[in-house]
This record gives sequence, structure tokens and C-alpha cells, in this order.
Amino acid sequence: MKKNPFKKGICLLLGTLLAACLLGGCGNSGKPVLKVYSWGEYLDTSLLSEFEKEYDCKVIYETFDSNESMYTKLQSGETYDILVPSDYMIERLIKEDRLQPIDWSLVPNAAGLDEAVMGEEFDPDNTYSVPFFYGSVGILYDTTVVDDADLSDGWELLRNPKYAEDIYMYDSERDSFMPALKALGYSMNTTNHEEIDQAYEWLIDQRDTMDPVYVGDDVMDNMISGNKALAVVYSGDAAYTMRENEDLAFFEPKEGTNIWQDAMVITSDCTEVELAHAYIDFMLEPEHAYANTVEVGYTSPVVEARTKAAEEDFAGIPAYLPSTLGDNNEVFRYQDQETKEYFSELWTKVKAAN
Amino acid sequence: MKHFTKLVRPYIIWAVVIILLPLLLIVLYSVTTGGNDLVNIQFTLDNFRRMTEPVYLAVFAKSFRLGLTAVGICLFAGYILAYFITFFSERTQSLLILLVTIPMWINTLLRTYAWICLLSDNGAVNTLLQMLGFQPVTMMYTDFAVLIGLVSDLLPFMVLPIHTSLCKIDHSLHEAAMDLGANKVQTFWRVTFKLSLPGVLNGIIMTFLLSISTFVIPKLLGGGQYMLIGNLIENQFISVGDWNFGSAISVILAFIILLAITGMKQFDQEEGEEE
Amino acid sequence: MKKKRKLGSGLYITLCFLFLYLPILVTMVYSFNSSKSLTKFESFSLRWYENLFSSGEIMHAVYVSITIALLATAISTVLGTLTAIGLSKTRRILKEAILNVNNIPIMNPDIVTAIGLMILFSSIKLEKGYFTMLLAHIALCTPYVITSVYPKVRNLDPNLANAAMDLGATPVQALTKVILPMIKEGIYAGVLLAFTMSFDDFVISYFVTGNGISNISIIVYNMTKRTNPTINALSTLVILVIVVTLVLVHLIPYLKRRREEGREKEIDSLLPKEEVE
Repeated sequence: MKKNPFKKGICLLLGTLLAACLLGGCGNSGKPVLKVYSWGEYLDTSLLSEFEKEYDCKVIYETFDSNESMYTKLQSGETYDILVPSDYMIERLIKEDRLQPIDWSLVPNAAGLDEAVMGEEFDPDNTYSVPFFYGSVGILYDTTVVDDADLSDGWELLRNPKYAEDIYMYDSERDSFMPALKALGYSMNTTNHEEIDQAYEWLIDQRDTMDPVYVGDDVMDNMISGNKALAVVYSGDAAYTMRENEDLAFFEPKEGTNIWQDAMVITSDCTEVELAHAYIDFMLEPEHAYANTVEVGYTSPVVEARTKAAEEDFAGIPAYLPSTLGDNNEVFRYQDQETKEYFSELWTKVKAAN
Repeated sequence: MKHFTKLVRPYIIWAVVIILLPLLLIVLYSVTTGGNDLVNIQFTLDNFRRMTEPVYLAVFAKSFRLGLTAVGICLFAGYILAYFITFFSERTQSLLILLVTIPMWINTLLRTYAWICLLSDNGAVNTLLQMLGFQPVTMMYTDFAVLIGLVSDLLPFMVLPIHTSLCKIDHSLHEAAMDLGANKVQTFWRVTFKLSLPGVLNGIIMTFLLSISTFVIPKLLGGGQYMLIGNLIENQFISVGDWNFGSAISVILAFIILLAITGMKQFDQEEGEEE
Repeated sequence: MKKKRKLGSGLYITLCFLFLYLPILVTMVYSFNSSKSLTKFESFSLRWYENLFSSGEIMHAVYVSITIALLATAISTVLGTLTAIGLSKTRRILKEAILNVNNIPIMNPDIVTAIGLMILFSSIKLEKGYFTMLLAHIALCTPYVITSVYPKVRNLDPNLANAAMDLGATPVQALTKVILPMIKEGIYAGVLLAFTMSFDDFVISYFVTGNGISNISIIVYNMTKRTNPTINALSTLVILVIVVTLVLVHLIPYLKRRREEGREKEIDSLLPKEEVE
């Protein structure tokens, strides 16, 4: 029998490690626990320990990479105290009775919020949601490659054969159908199958002629490195990317775009209601909001923090202050199950088509 | 040794709860509709019917094509590697085998990120090419990138079992074959390769299994348009939220794989009986 | 001629290792990059190492990864070894059935196993977290232990244990003093395989975890949002630990042997020559 002298050694090492870990195992203290579920890399994490110290509690901070995966987690029986999802998902959570109303008297820092981003259609009176970040969606382009004159194409720029094989699209059904629907002049919240089918044809045609790459957040590193000329991105990602690569610029097509908002909500499962409000208030404190917006690059709804960041950290980067007022701009709305399934099946087909 | 038969009991309970029950649940989901609550379910075969749409069949075809290519490359490169390793002294061999194993301990995702950094348009490889005066090549988000990622992830799984069975071969068999007049090529194919077949089969099965169900490597190196079975399943569970359809795809995938493996094992046994 | 063959094969082996280690090397190099980019190297810095040790999230993930891998390995090794020993004496039908069921997690694609476990845990309302992840990892690892230990058990002389017991050993003694030492090679192999599988697992952990418990893979996956070389620093450290361990494992027996040889020589020189013979 052949012996391997290393195997035994490694097994021994593993055994010692195990013993060490078991001895060093930690006990649980009786502090109140707050479970927060938010987008990945969406705040300055040092704030969490600061909050823990200030309120003598423990924050369990979990992250997700899409609204849908967050929803799946909830569906599989997971419970949280605070969620930070986007507009249409908040609307869905409200409809399904998964949230509890915010007690605004416990959030004094809300006075610093920009009125313009309050009262969006998904939660008209802000009964349930406290804005955390907001922005638009537009096209990030490499000024050394893209001709300024072509920008007048609007979203059709994404089908301009000059830039074939030079495009990143978002790998998410709603974010990819949005440019197609807008380019065709439809609402991005349409439920009309004919319009959706046309948008599907638009995407298939784009896929055939332009050969775009559907990416997730790796788009940012790719654009920083200047790998391709065009990318559909969120304004906050654009601001972050432009800070790293000066050749990039950002524009919002004239046909209108998606104005999105991510907001903090308290779930109906939450038992530490006061602590949850304290957390929300803590995040709206101008200094903390400033730390977050600088770390992430997304636009803060807290006026004081936003002004400071725009003047100091994002000077000369217009993407940091997206224009939210355009006539054709919209906010994503809740989709009923039937429309949602229709979209996702078509999107699967766009991606899988050869 | 009769005393020891009782030792099996805990595992039987364990296997029923943790292996069989989940499978049954997946099957149950795959033949029902009614969302993710088990309260108001209805039986249906629609989930399987949906699978026959050309788009989904194409996804299956693409996954198998890619999986088989990756296995092929691993088999070729891995066999040679395992074979060459046996030339060395036992101590060197165990060191070399250990070197093959270490990459498996480094997080797969991390290694995949590293490939992104190597292969991207302005990445290390292209920079090197340009320094040498060549044109840069687009490698990211192509078949090539996905294959590179897969092969570097799977190669150890092919090398290890092959090396184990190569080591078991009695050296005197080679000498006997040579004495009987076989030339080197004949000796290799008729003796060495044939006797290492169990290892080869194990390697093939292992790499095939891992490559067919992968979803992270194609997603990162191939982009979102690189839709394979694994991505399709993940999509259904994570982003679409249609657990029933997702379960149906899983059931079909599991079924095909079990069929393929049973086939291969059968082949292995028949080969064994011939001798 | 033999030398030539060795040279050629050495070259090929080097190339293969280059291919396997290139990404690891890159990871290490970029862990010292001062900028955030994973494609442009700017200048040398240790900021990601600082980040690593100050990030509670990552350190916790490391703790989870290591403890889960160790616990899952330990439990599945015990469970798997005992099962393998018991199997050799079980009735044929039952044995075949168990071995086939045991093959399911190995043959099933990871993603199917993961989803099955996720559905199971959520339908029995088991709170997801450390415990569910551990259960899932044991489920993943045990079959590998059984498949590596069982062949060794089958090769044992069935009368061995009986002989030991005839000589007055209790069943437990027969197990620990006779059987285990004979199959230890298989157990070591199983331990290694189990640890590797658990430590590197992403898919299964991703689907069955919850309550803020994540292992290294999940952290890495969630970091795609903003590429973050902190994790490169982590893997550089992992590699370092592995290398140091290997060197130690390699060196200690060697030094020991040297020392013993040296001592024998000393003793030899002390003894009068006639007595040595």
C-alpha cells in the first residue's frame, strides 16, 4: 500500500484546529439584535459598529444582489427587521402586508430629507418607507470612442452598429426591458403584451446585431478598465466609475428613463421596533449619510450630505446629481404575477437565444 | 464482526431524512403548481411540458456541449499529467499530487475572479501580448474564457483518480507485455490505459457532474447570455421565484445524469468482464 | 534516454502547474495593489490587509468557513467510517440499497442537492443559519468518506475482528485497536476529501444559509457589487497557512530522522567496538 506522508500530517493539523475552534467558541450575550437585509456593499460598514456601540445592541447585516433574491429569501421563511429594497419591491411588500408603518415621530432626522424624493407612487404618503439612496438609469460611455453627435440617438444608441460588440447591458429583466420599451416610446410599466412583444423583438434584434454582453455589477470594473465603449448603468454606479476613470461620461436619454429609489422599511415581523427606528434615524444623520454616499457613490436623499458630497467628492461628476424631473421619467411599479412571468420568460429567451 | 452491523443504523435514518426526503420534495414540487406553499397545490405536468420549448432544449444542448468539451480537455491534459507524475520517485509523487490538490483549497470563486483579471480586454494576458507586439484578443465573455475557467477548476478532479489507478498497476505487467513482444504504444494502450480505466471513468464522472451543473463560472466569465442548465435553475429559484418549474428542470437534470452514469458504470463492468 | 523522458514530462508538469497556479498567483499579487481595480496594478500597499482584519464581516465568514468545514469533516468522518465498517457485514440487499442512496449526493448536481435541502429546511420550518449549513455540509461530505473508507474495509480479512474478540478484546477494542489502524489510509483520504468539499463549497451553502451566517464563498459572491481586493488578501493568507503547514509536515519528520541518526552515531561512538557486534 502506498503511503502519503502528507495526508496524516494534514489530518492531524485539522484535528488541532478543530479543538482550538471548539475551545474558543463564543457565547451569545443578551443584547437586543437587529437584523438588516440590504444590497451588497451599500453602506460604510464602520457605521454598523458605531451604531452597535451607541445603542448597545447587535446588528446582523446581510446582503442580497437583487430584489428578487431578497424576496425569495423572505419566501423561504427567513425573517428580518429592516429591509432596504427598491421601489417596486416595496410596493409588492406593502400589498402583501409584510411591512409595518413608520412612526415618523421617532425619526427626527427625516427633516433633512429632500422633499422631491418623497411621496413616490409606490408609497404615496411614505407610510412605510424612508428613502436611503435614489438615482436614474442612463448610458455610461467612453468619450474617447463615442462620438458626441451619436448621443442624440437616445436609447437607440444601443443599436447603433458603429458600437457593435462594444456594449454592456444589465443582466436583469426589468433593467433590460426598460431601454427597449422607452426607445419604442412605451411606458416601462406596460402590461400590454403587444408592446412587450415589440420590446422583446427590439432586444432580440439588438442581441443579433450588436452582440452585447449581459453583465451584473462587474460592469463597473470593466468600464473603469475601459474594456467597452457603452454600458447601461445606474447613476450611482456611473458616479463611482467616473471617479475612477476620467474618460467616462454619463447621459440620460431624452426618451425618458427609470427613476429608482431604494428605501428602508420595517417588516411586520420586527419586534425591536424602537431600535429599528433608531437605526433608520441613525442612517439619516447627515454625517452618516455623507459617509455612506461617499463610500458607495449613490445619491443620498439627505440634502446636507448630498450637497457636501456633490461639492467635495463628486465635483465635476454630473452623474452624482441625476435629473429626476424629465417628462417621460418613471418609477418602476409592482407587476402582477402574470405580467412578471411573461417578462421573465421572454428575458430568459433573449439570453438563451443563440 | 456481527456486532458491527448496528453501526449502519444511524446512517440509514440520516440518509432517509437528509438525502431521500429532499429529493421527494423536489419531485413533488415539479409535478404541482400553486406557488411555494404546500397548502393549495394542484397536480400538473405543465412544468415538464414547458421544458420541451426550443429555447430550453437549446439551453440543455449548450450545457452538454460545453460540459463534454470541458471533460474532454480535462481528460486529455489530466491523463498526461497523471501519467507523467508516475515517472517520479514516490516521495516526489506525493508532493506533486499534493500540489495538484492545493488549488482545490483556494476558493473557486476567487480563482474565477483572477481569471477575469487575466483575460479581460486590458488584462494581464493582453498587456503581455501587446508588449510582445501582437494584437490584443477579446477573451472575456466567450466560450474560451468559460472553458479556461472550467478546466482550471476541474483538472484536479480528473488527475487525482487517474493517478490513483495508475499507481495501482503492477510494474511487472509492463515488462511482461514487452517481453511478449508488444511495442511501447501497444503496451500503453493495451495494458496501462486499460488498467487505469476505473480511474478515468471516475474522473470523467466527477468532472462531468461538476461542469454540467455549474452556474457561477459561466455567469462570471461568459456573461449573462451564457445560459446553462445551472443558471436556468438558479434563475427560477432566485430571481423568477417559480420553484415548480425550477424543480422540474432539476428533476430532468438529475434523471439524465443518473442515466449517463449508470450507462458508464455498465460499460466499466462489461470491460472488466471481458478480461 | 530516461533523462530525456523526465525532462519532457517535467516540462509538461510545470506547464500544467503554471496553468493551475496562475490565477492564485494573480490573486496574491493584486492583494498588494493600492487601487481597487482587479485589472490595473498601481502601486504596492498593505491597505487590504488592514481592511481584512478590521472587517468583522469577513473575519466572521472565515470563522464560519473553518468551523463548519472542521465540524462537518469530523462528524462525517465518524459517521461515514462507522457506516462503512457496519456495511461490510450487512445483508447484501440492504448494503446495495445503502450504497446506492449514498451515491445520490455524489452524483446529483450540487444545485439539485442544494435546492432539495433548501426546500426541506423551509418546509419543516427549521430556522436557517449555522445549524442548517452544518447539516447540509455533513450531508455533502459523508458520502465521500464512505466511498473512500468502504473499499478498505471490504479488503480486510473478515476474521480479524473475531480473532481479536476471541483473544479477549471487547468489540470497542476490536474496533479501535484492530480495524481502525488497518483502514486508516482510507480514513485519511476521506478526511481530506470531506474537508476540501466543505471548505470550498458555494452552491449548497448559498441556498441553505440564513440569519447573517455566510462563509467565505458567499462573501466573495456578494462582493461582486464592488470588486474588493480585501478578499485577495484573505486568500493570500490561506495560501500562506497551507504552505507553512506543508513545510512543517515535510520538515519535522526529516529533522527528527536526522536527529535520531545523529544520536545513534553518538551512541555508536561511545560504545566500545566489540559490544556493538
